[in-house]
Amino acid sequence: MRKVGIVLVAFGLFLGIGVGAQTIEKVVIGLSAPPRTMDPHGSDADSNLSIMSNIFEGLARRDVNGNLLPALAVSWERVDPYTWRFYLRKGVKFHNGNDFTWEDVAFTFERLKDPGVSEFLATGQLVKSVQPVDGDPWVIDIVTTRPVAWFVQNMHQIFIMDKESTEARSPGEVASYPIGTGPYKFVEWIRGDHLTLVANEDYWGGPPPVKKVVFKEIVDSFTRLAAIETGTVDIIQDIPLELFDRAKANPNLLIVTRPARRGMFLGMKQTPEYPMHDVRVRKAIYMAINVQELIDKVMFGHASPAAQIADPPTVGYNPEIKRLPYDPETAKKLLAEAGYPDGFSVTLKAPTDRYPRDEETAEAIAKQLAKIGIKVTVDAKPKAIYFPEVTHHDVELYYLGWFDGAYSAMRTFTKLVHSYDEEAGFGLFNAGDISDKLLDYLIEQSDTIVDPDLYVEWSQMTNRIAFEWKVVYIPLFYLEDSYAVYKPSGINFTPRPDTWMTIVDVIQP
Amino acid sequence: MGAYIVRRLGQGLLVLLAVSFICFVIFQYMGDPAWALAGRYATPKQLELVRQKLGLDKPFYIQYIIFLKNAIRGNFGMSFVSRLPAMQVILERLPATFELAFMAMLLAVTFGVGLGVLVSVSPNSLFSRLIMAGSLIGISIPTFLTGILLIMIFAVELRWLPPFGRGEVIRIFGGWRSGLLTWDGFKHLILPAFTLSTYQLAVLLRLTRAGMMEVLGEEYIKTAWAKGLPPRSVLFKHALRNALIPVVTMIGLQFGELIAFSIVTETVFQWPGMGNLLLSAIFESDQPVIVSYITFVSLVILSLNLLVDLLYVFINPKIRYA
Repeated sequence: MRKVGIVLVAFGLFLGIGVGAQTIEKVVIGLSAPPRTMDPHGSDADSNLSIMSNIFEGLARRDVNGNLLPALAVSWERVDPYTWRFYLRKGVKFHNGNDFTWEDVAFTFERLKDPGVSEFLATGQLVKSVQPVDGDPWVIDIVTTRPVAWFVQNMHQIFIMDKESTEARSPGEVASYPIGTGPYKFVEWIRGDHLTLVANEDYWGGPPPVKKVVFKEIVDSFTRLAAIETGTVDIIQDIPLELFDRAKANPNLLIVTRPARRGMFLGMKQTPEYPMHDVRVRKAIYMAINVQELIDKVMFGHASPAAQIADPPTVGYNPEIKRLPYDPETAKKLLAEAGYPDGFSVTLKAPTDRYPRDEETAEAIAKQLAKIGIKVTVDAKPKAIYFPEVTHHDVELYYLGWFDGAYSAMRTFTKLVHSYDEEAGFGLFNAGDISDKLLDYLIEQSDTIVDPDLYVEWSQMTNRIAFEWKVVYIPLFYLEDSYAVYKPSGINFTPRPDTWMTIVDVIQP
Repeated sequence: MGAYIVRRLGQGLLVLLAVSFICFVIFQYMGDPAWALAGRYATPKQLELVRQKLGLDKPFYIQYIIFLKNAIRGNFGMSFVSRLPAMQVILERLPATFELAFMAMLLAVTFGVGLGVLVSVSPNSLFSRLIMAGSLIGISIPTFLTGILLIMIFAVELRWLPPFGRGEVIRIFGGWRSGLLTWDGFKHLILPAFTLSTYQLAVLLRLTRAGMMEVLGEEYIKTAWAKGLPPRSVLFKHALRNALIPVVTMIGLQFGELIAFSIVTETVFQWPGMGNLLLSAIFESDQPVIVSYITFVSLVILSLNLLVDLLYVFINPKIRYA
């Protein structure tokens, strides 16, 4: 397209080989969810972190496959269950010219604790201290209040801020004019309209090939599609299911999809007075749900079956976990064995405005369960009413989605599987009141494991026990992330699993 | 007259109080913003911390009294989402909404009144029937559908106009960012302004037609015709002037409505105005922004109503406020 003038820049000489690298003048991206704030700690929504990841950096970063890589820290190790040691990158500058030092890291973790500016309170309150080791300012120890095995897994979304300029400005200014160390510098943000970034030519990782990025907010899905059909933008996020065929039929559009990180599942009340207390009943419900039919008929094929909640890049994802087969006959037998030959009545709660086709999915599940005699009443309501009911554990069957921002299955389990413990903050979303001593123990112990390989294996084992043996949840499917690229723009686009529009990763010159 | 204005201002204040109070009652059922703000991994304790910080732990009438105390000093609280003063967040969107409403009004008045006069002259002609049928469509078609159709035809198929956004804007006196002064900005304004104007255009058209038909039957018009005055003079000088009084009232009231209810148009065209902001504030349970927006819009409508009532005195000297 005309605005993407492609210029060849001599980049060679590296390793003595003449390598040519292209630069792209400008890329325009249509966002489905607008940025909420330019304060990197002010929102933990992926739509916001997505933008922030261009301006700011964490101690670590993630690539397009979700792998954890060094960023502001060149390496790290876990010294003991409470202590993480980070070796900091030298010679990094913030966009205002300030040097990146260990004090910025200490400041950042202190700031996370302030409910006035931070949505990462949970991470902030995990950190007890940040101190240089033996007076070396480039090696720091982060000590946590309790052992946390996934601590470093979360470091790609904890963005480091400049102590001096953040303290000197009001929270409102900080939230309007971001100063980071990342590959892009902030130019302007007209709320409701667009955000413009330019390449940071002094970036420690080298000048980024895309020189200017404009993020346009286009919340309405029809308008977003119209924007890319006219070539007004180069890439859009989230093609609505209803307009998918229209987008696919357009020869100017390249449709890119990948399984979303979010796994959808069915939760069940498991206290003794409910039939779902019996694992045979839980298995019967599992086997009575025809997940392929849900995907084909309700999701129009835009979902993929899940055998667990975690997605492949998550630590603890276990490829050996298999779905129970769809088998209504066996399901009926299991129900009879459990003492419910004629089924029972139960309410299925679901949101109406949170996930694609959430209410329709719940209705379809109700019909499928009716075939083995379980009479399901669907109670679908707006998320503002639904979510408080889930957190108050006021449910019988419920439809929910989850993914772990720290790519840790065990962190998810502390919220979804561990029995409720207000003091520790465990089990808040364990709306079914799962109370399993073995799982509680496995989840708690996982955090004390210092050996990374053992931790992975331990997480995978715990995951498998929960889904194959205990059947604490019924996994359904992963949603699908979708994008459209305007072909004449000539842009090569690769989506990230977390949907972040980190330009240096997702656009290849 | 002075006493009348004071009384009206007093009534206005009561309306503002009532409107803001209703907002606070509704907030009780809108879901807890602390959930969004503490992060998904927050513990109940951390949620409580956030509620305390935002004052959400207090009973709602106490929250309301605190809001009133601050509002008197012009402080409408901090947006939970952007952490900027709520009123600032709203006012920075005002130019976009104002220019859109102004343009829509201009279209509605020009075409509404103009066509209304034309139709009233020969009410039974084919042209008039077509226009009247069209005005019915204008009244009944939902705004979002008009918007989508216009985008489909003029942006996607014909490629004459841009599908969304505000285009190039330039800063004029102070912080007012105007899109009216650049060609690009003007092009971006056409479709949303037309979409927003359709309903008002149709209403004005029907109102003008009705008024004109009534006036055209009056004795003094017959006299004017009999005198042999040219049609232009009869229609515009004698008839329209007298038919215009209810129309002017309507225009005043409509302008307030256009500012207040541009939400749908702004969303379809991703117009960075106040309506767009309100919608995202509702999604995010950003209570300070919602209550500030509603207070601000109530203020605009109340002021416009008062202004229209006062203007009445000048248009029609028979009216007196005592």
